[in-house]
Amino acid sequence: MKTASVHAALAPLGALIIVLALWETVTRAFSISPIVLPPPSAIALEASRAVESLLSAALSTGRSALVGFGLSAAVGVLAAVVLSSSRVLERALYPYALFLQMVPIIAIAPLLVVWFGHGARAVAVASFIVSVFPVIANTLTGLRSVDPSLRDMFRLYGARRVATLWKLELPASLPHLFTGLRVASGLSVVGAIVGEWVAGVVEGDAGLGILVLASNRQGNTARVFAAVLAASALGLMLFGAVSLTGERMLRRWHPSASGS
Amino acid sequence: MRRRLVGLLGSLVLLAVAGACSRSKEGAQQAGATDAGGTQAAAQPTRVKLALNWVPEPEFGGFYAARDMGEFKRHGLEVEILGGGAGVPVVQMVASGQVEFGIVGADELLTARARGVDLIPLFAVYQKSPLAIMAHASRGAKGIQDVLSSGTIALEPGLPYAVYLKKKYGFDKVKVVPYDGGVAQFVTNKDFAQQCFITSEPIAARKQGAEPSVFLVADEGFNPYVAVVATRRELWKEQPERVKSFVAAVREGWRAYLENPAPANGVMAKLNTTLDAETFAAAAQAQKPLIETEETRAKGLGTMSRERWETLGRQLVELGLMEKAPPVDEFLLPEFTQAAGKTSP
Amino acid sequence: MLDGMDLDVAAGSFVALVGPSGCGKSTLLRLVAGLDKPDAGTLTFSPPLDRTPGARSPIAYVFQDAHLLPWRSVLHNVALPLELAGVPAQERQASAHALLRQVGLGDATSRYPAELSGGMRMRVSLARALVTRPRLLLLDEPFAALDELTRNRLDDQLLALWKELGMTVLFVTHSLSEAAYLAERVLVLSRRPARVMLDRQLALPRERLPALRANPEFAREMGLLLQALERGEAP
Repeated sequence: MKTASVHAALAPLGALIIVLALWETVTRAFSISPIVLPPPSAIALEASRAVESLLSAALSTGRSALVGFGLSAAVGVLAAVVLSSSRVLERALYPYALFLQMVPIIAIAPLLVVWFGHGARAVAVASFIVSVFPVIANTLTGLRSVDPSLRDMFRLYGARRVATLWKLELPASLPHLFTGLRVASGLSVVGAIVGEWVAGVVEGDAGLGILVLASNRQGNTARVFAAVLAASALGLMLFGAVSLTGERMLRRWHPSASGS
Repeated sequence: MRRRLVGLLGSLVLLAVAGACSRSKEGAQQAGATDAGGTQAAAQPTRVKLALNWVPEPEFGGFYAARDMGEFKRHGLEVEILGGGAGVPVVQMVASGQVEFGIVGADELLTARARGVDLIPLFAVYQKSPLAIMAHASRGAKGIQDVLSSGTIALEPGLPYAVYLKKKYGFDKVKVVPYDGGVAQFVTNKDFAQQCFITSEPIAARKQGAEPSVFLVADEGFNPYVAVVATRRELWKEQPERVKSFVAAVREGWRAYLENPAPANGVMAKLNTTLDAETFAAAAQAQKPLIETEETRAKGLGTMSRERWETLGRQLVELGLMEKAPPVDEFLLPEFTQAAGKTSP
Repeated sequence: MLDGMDLDVAAGSFVALVGPSGCGKSTLLRLVAGLDKPDAGTLTFSPPLDRTPGARSPIAYVFQDAHLLPWRSVLHNVALPLELAGVPAQERQASAHALLRQVGLGDATSRYPAELSGGMRMRVSLARALVTRPRLLLLDEPFAALDELTRNRLDDQLLALWKELGMTVLFVTHSLSEAAYLAERVLVLSRRPARVMLDRQLALPRERLPALRANPEFAREMGLLLQALERGEAP
């Protein structure tokens, strides 16, 4: 087991080293301007100089993204359950959920400021809006894909609606739910960052989105990259946490997790 | 602020262009130079591009005047003006050779130089910075310090003069939020203040019935040149005459615009339909004292001084935006501190 | 689908239904179970069944696929019908344990369906079906997907359970030999719309031993069934 995961990590790690080496040599060989594409060494240097601001910004964005993600998970599952309870309801409300997903968050963000004011709350809501739809869509698919014979069996044994939901539909849709959560994890970070651009605060509890803008304004492209990488790292961490949880919960019974 | 929002995407898109393009562009310039080097004005006018860092507004009136009144043509140039907007990375565009000339802020030019990008300034439209803070007159603030003592203020993240104000007065009593490029929040909230361009937001706010008090940041001691025409060192080395002609034409264009802004305003109004003719006229009027000063009367429009660049360099280092100030002699060419052979009185 | 069926099943008997594919045997079973509603006709149980939701269901159904809940252990799968009927945890787990022991899976209670073979899963399904002590057990080609040896073993297992618990069994299969081996009475259905081609009380000893399959009487009964089946298949 241990050697398997070590082996699994070697491949992307190797790719990373090759990419970094290429990046460094190409930028130097072609004398690419450091304000357009800085070499990894410059990014690392800038990151070490700005460690404090990077960390506090990452914490701020991370907090908002986590809240947004939590909301997406809770509201998403709830919405999926409601929509799955009736085809009419689904047909009536699904297009609106879809519409919410399609409207660019940048356009909605000023409204969030009106409703929630500038700050962490509005940013968390932005993060939620951007990441909720995949949870709804995937969970709904899962709820609708329950084996009809299992439904028959529950019906035969006189199970009430709630029992069928709780003991059959929700557990059966768990793999789909986790697929949705994995997608939502990355999106929640993106949503938080974009939310910060319009609805965040610039001083005090400034997040990575603000740091990216500020670094760009000051011509510090290396720090822009560092902040972007920090944001990716946040997304990866959340993704990893969700994947691990999913794997543990599905390990004994779902082929997607048993990794055979 | 909007110009920054997409700015990074613009820079990232330039990645592929950067390496390859700067080489091929240099090749083209070489050809152009040998072409026009021999004959004078009778030859085909050289095509060059000028990138603006915002949408066409009175801020750029002189450039459009130079084009439409034939100044550029008289100097053997055919200039394509690329209107900017949200997020145009002009510094990167000029540095990579995508455009020959661009409009940048003096602070941007210095920070780029500090990172090894060899851009040189040629002409400074605004002698006094038009950047300001506006607050509701009803607050009775006497200066920026009062504005920063309560309420909310919208500032672009990373803005050098914001860093300056933070150092001078501190932001602990005010809530700082991102500047959104408009005045909607200002108009609806009496405790809301924001950064502004003296020719732009205050006029828009007054039109919507608000009464703003405007405080120039220059009066607080931070006064970089704004709307500076810049180019790459390579272009200056290879085609100095071309560059000088461009600047001369620009100067004449601004002279014409200051005297009568209406024609150029008309042209710009077609490109930028968000402002009406009245606003264009008001803005052109408001910016006059910032463009034409004692110094420009003596040395010509757009002139720049060593002292101003040295001060700015020192200030940016103090604010932590640069490690070391680039030596002024390295980039401020004597040709552009004194208007050589100005053609108008 | 089904046309003019008039069936009387004695309590505690083992009845097999055979017929060509698609003739409606499964449909008949589903109608009896109450999973589908008939367009016309009546279903009478005597004595009447207690069908109130929440009570222990008097009818159990075994599908062709074991249809276990993959996220539950074997024990909790078997306990499910009692759980849905509101039986407290200790009692229902004890019942589930007992039944699993009966089908020979007493050691596998904490394993998960994904870890079991097809035959073992079917045994769990049987145990689950019987945990409520149903009066009527319906099976729809339950062993069709299993290999010969496992199938024979499960046939014997089912017979043993029937002898011990005494419920009425309706067993649908398309294997004549399985029908002849298991049942007391075999109904041969024609193709759609299904009619009863043959309703036969098998003339075979009560004790069904594996050796029976080699018996000449067995072959004779099979022959009768086969003839009826062929007649039913003919257009």
